[in-house]
Amino acid sequence: MNQAFSRLLALSVFLLALAALTLVSRAQSAGSTKSDPPAKSATKKITGPSKGAAADTVAEGPINKSYGSRGAPIRLDVFTDYQCPSCRSFYEGTLKYLIASDYITNGKVYLVHHDFPLQAHTYSGLAARWANAAAKIGRFAEAEAALYDNQDAWQANGDIAKYIAAAMPPADFKRVEALVKGCESPAPQSTGDKSNPLAKDSRPCSFDYAVADDIELGYKVPVQATPTYVITNKGQKLPAGSGVVSWPILKQFFDSLLSQ
Amino acid sequence: MNVLGWLLTELATYGYWLILAGVIATFCVRNSENRRQLVRVLLMAGGVIVGSIFLAAAYGKMKPLPGLDWSWASIQASIAFFAMQVESYQLLSPQGSNMLAHLLPFAELFLGLWLVSGIGRRFSGIVASLALSGFIIAIISAYLRGLKIDCGCGIGPPEQAGPAALLRDGLKFLLPALLVTVGAFWMRRQPRATPEGLQV
Repeated sequence: MNQAFSRLLALSVFLLALAALTLVSRAQSAGSTKSDPPAKSATKKITGPSKGAAADTVAEGPINKSYGSRGAPIRLDVFTDYQCPSCRSFYEGTLKYLIASDYITNGKVYLVHHDFPLQAHTYSGLAARWANAAAKIGRFAEAEAALYDNQDAWQANGDIAKYIAAAMPPADFKRVEALVKGCESPAPQSTGDKSNPLAKDSRPCSFDYAVADDIELGYKVPVQATPTYVITNKGQKLPAGSGVVSWPILKQFFDSLLSQ
Repeated sequence: MNVLGWLLTELATYGYWLILAGVIATFCVRNSENRRQLVRVLLMAGGVIVGSIFLAAAYGKMKPLPGLDWSWASIQASIAFFAMQVESYQLLSPQGSNMLAHLLPFAELFLGLWLVSGIGRRFSGIVASLALSGFIIAIISAYLRGLKIDCGCGIGPPEQAGPAALLRDGLKFLLPALLVTVGAFWMRRQPRATPEGLQV
């Protein structure tokens, strides 16, 4: 019996040593995390005009709600609802840092935003419409930031316009506003029965199709809560996750994938 | 390695049937000596089955993500992915979630090997029962708070934390662990035959 317990002790010491080795290596990478720029300086102010963009010459183009390079080894698809508190936490505590980090600028991570406005949120469809209209003229980043930064304010009455207006030059806002005001039909939202979000909509706006496509893509994941994220590493899709992930944890995972 | 993982997962998923059948058979055996022998065999089998639950869980958390091969780097990536799942429960701080994610797979590996070895089965059974109870409490907590997250147990396909996961984890995992623990204590209390055939 004593021999058995000695062996057990030796085995436990070995396994604990293995765990400690892992923790030490993680602590070393956490040390590099701690040396990252502090939160304030890591956060770009993106509620104003983008650098280098002229005040009123942003052309209309395809709806682009992504950050970074398509050729990045890691792709992060995020399904969110602008009126969802957890999505706001995810954006403010994680995505904002990711967008400002060199993971995006150096082509390591390609972040793609997908709209998944929930029926339970009265103004989420409208918010998605504003964001997509802004994306049409290349102001998606500003609109996204404005929506999450001011979520508490606009979700009370749906008065989104003034926050979008404060996030971009007046000329660009007028163009976005014109696009949104031209929409007469209800904004698309995800439905519990997974039917086509535009089925009952007789005259959708051009960018409503982008939202509807996002929703239908979300049904396939399937998105059961927001935020939901899908990470693809070198073409291999990983199991979808949902809930809020903090930036250090997400960064740790990205680092582990990039070190393969 | 993948075959071993598959075997452990199958054993963890379906082994509870054997334990339940054995428990029923125990009550049907009238002869006390035969019952002791049956319980002894069941405890050995139960130790392997309950141990396989933890070994399968450890394997599920450490196995390489799609597209990666087995290596220490891929294990670290899998554990980092698991850390994201632990954090989604929102029970611990990011640092706490990270530490738990790094310790838990190795603790499960140790506990699984301990159960399979049969050494100190009463105590390994208690630890296993407590560990599974804690896991079920975490799932209940997540469910009551309305969190729709992957249960993150690592056995079988991803499953949303909810009543289905609770039923599965309770019936398949916690119940066999409790039965093995109770059986081990019962065996300890049984009188043993001396070399001369007299019971003490």
